[in-house]
Amino acid sequence: MDKKVQLSGKFKIAMIVLIVVGLISVAIGFLTEDGERAWANLLLNNYYFLSIALGATFWLAIQAVTQSGWSIAYIRVPQAMSNYFIVSMLLFAVMFLGVHDLYHWSHADAVAADPILQHKSPYLNIPFFTIRYVVFFALWILLSLRIKKLSLQEDKIGGISFFNKIEMTSKIFIFVFAVSFSLFSIDWLMSLDAHWYSTIYVVKKFIMAFFHGASVITAIVIILYKLGYFPMLTKKHLHDFSRYIWALSLIWGYMWLSQYLLIWYANIPEETIYYIPREMGEFKSLFYTELIMNWTFPFFFLMWNRIAKSANWLLFTVAVLIIGQWVELYMSIMPGTLDSYGIGIIEIGTFIGSLGLFALVVGTSLSKMPIIPQNHPYLIESTTEEH
Amino acid sequence: MRTNILGVYDDEHDVMHAVDKLQEGGIVVADVFSPFPLHGIWDKLKQTTYLPYATFAYGLVGGIATFALLYWTSVINYPLKFGGKPLNTLSFIIIMFVLTILIGTVFTALTFFIRQKLYPGKEVEMPDVRTVDDKFVIVIEKPEDIDDVELRKIKSLLTETGAVEINESDVEYEA
Repeated sequence: MDKKVQLSGKFKIAMIVLIVVGLISVAIGFLTEDGERAWANLLLNNYYFLSIALGATFWLAIQAVTQSGWSIAYIRVPQAMSNYFIVSMLLFAVMFLGVHDLYHWSHADAVAADPILQHKSPYLNIPFFTIRYVVFFALWILLSLRIKKLSLQEDKIGGISFFNKIEMTSKIFIFVFAVSFSLFSIDWLMSLDAHWYSTIYVVKKFIMAFFHGASVITAIVIILYKLGYFPMLTKKHLHDFSRYIWALSLIWGYMWLSQYLLIWYANIPEETIYYIPREMGEFKSLFYTELIMNWTFPFFFLMWNRIAKSANWLLFTVAVLIIGQWVELYMSIMPGTLDSYGIGIIEIGTFIGSLGLFALVVGTSLSKMPIIPQNHPYLIESTTEEH
Repeated sequence: MRTNILGVYDDEHDVMHAVDKLQEGGIVVADVFSPFPLHGIWDKLKQTTYLPYATFAYGLVGGIATFALLYWTSVINYPLKFGGKPLNTLSFIIIMFVLTILIGTVFTALTFFIRQKLYPGKEVEMPDVRTVDDKFVIVIEKPEDIDDVELRKIKSLLTETGAVEINESDVEYEA
C-alpha cells in the first residue's frame, strides 16, 4: 500500500522537451512582436495552472470539511497539485516585469488623465498590488503545506488528531481561498479592462478554478489507474468524480449566463463595452465555443449514466474541458490586452511549455509520497466497495 | 395471497452483510425495508428504475412547452416592445430554466405516487410497520410449495447474520 509513483526517465525528458518548446515560443514572442502578446500569453498560462492547482486544493479541503469517505484514496493527487504554488509564485514574480505592458492602470500619466482610474487608484497601485500578491501566495503555500504535512504525519503515526487538524486547516483554507482568489482574479485579470467591472466575474473565476481543478484531478486519477496505481478504483468512484464535473459545469454555465444576461438586459454602455469585442468583434468565433465546451458539452454528455462511469469517456471529457478553460481565459485576457485576434505558435507553444512544467511538478511531487494515504480513518470506506 | 419471511434487524450494517450472505446462499432477497436510505442496497438487490428517464422526458417537454407559451404570449399574441429588446428575447431563458425544473420535479413526484398507488389517507401496507421507526426488515418470498430444508436454511442464515426476530407476513405491498 505504500507504493509511490515511479517516474520514468522518458516522462521527465518529454516534459523537459515541452518546457524547452515553451521557452522557445516565449522567446519568439518577445523577439518577433512587441512584448504585449508574449506577456498576455504568459499571464494566461500562469493563471491557468495556478487556478487548477488552487481548485484542486479547494476540492481537497471540501473532502476534509464534508468528511467524505469515498475520495480518501485519491487525496494525494490534489496534494501533489498544490505543490505547484511555489513554482507559480516564481512565475508570477517574473510577470511583474510585464506589468506596464499589460495593465493600463500601472502608468502614472494614464491615471493622472483618467478620473475613473484615479478613483480606483487606492486599490489598483503597484505597491498594494505587490503586497496582495505576496500575502495571497504566502497564505496558499502555508495552508497547503500544512495540510500535506499533517497528512504525511498521519501516514506514519495514525490516530484521529490529524484528521481533526486537517479539517480545521481546510476550513481556514476555504475562507482564505474564497477571499484571496477573488481579489487575485480582480488584480490580474479583471483589471486588464480597468474601466469595466462585474461583480459576478470573480464568482465565475472561482467556479472555473473548482470546476477545472476537479476535472484535472479526475484525469490524473484515471491516468494513474491505467498505469496500475489505483487498483481499487471502481465505477462508483468514477461516477463520483463525474458528478463533480457535471454539477460544476452546470454552476459554471449558470455564472456565465448570470453575468451575460444581466449586462445584456441592463444594456448600459459602460458594461456592454466588455462584450462588444468578444461577441461582435474579432473574437466572436470563440464566444460561443467557450460556452459550448465548458457547459453544453459536459452537461449533456455526462448526463448519460454509462458515459459518466467510463474511464475513457471521462478522460475525453476532461481533455475537452482543458481546452475549454484555455478558451475561457483567452476570452478573459486577450480582448483586453491585444488589438487583434490570433492563435499561433506563441499561444500553443506557451501552453505546451506550461503544461510540461505543471506535469513535471505534479509528477515529481507524486513520486515523493505514498500514492495512497495509509492511516486515514476513512481509508477502508474509500477502498472497499461500500462507500 | 402470498406470504413472506421477514428477518428483522437492529443495525444497518448487519442488513448489508445479511443480504450478501443470503445471496451467496442462493436465496433471492425480494426487498429490504429501512427507516432511512441505505447506500448501496439498490445495487445489491439489482433493482432498476425508469424514473430518471421519465424526469428527463418531463423536463424536455416542459422546457419546450414553456418556450412555446412565452413565444406565443410575447411574440404572436401580444407583441409589446419594451426596453428596446427583441420580442423573442434572451430573458426567456430564466423562465424556461425555472419552469423546466418545476415541471420535471412535480411530474416525477406525481409519477412516483401513481406507480406506488399512494394517495392521501391511504392505509399502511407494510410487512412490518416498525421499519418507519428503528427496525430494518429483509423480505424473502415464501412460495406455498417450499420444502422444510429450504425454509430451515433461510431461517438459519437469518439468525446467523444477526436477525433479532424472524416473522412471517402476508401483507401485500407494492414493491
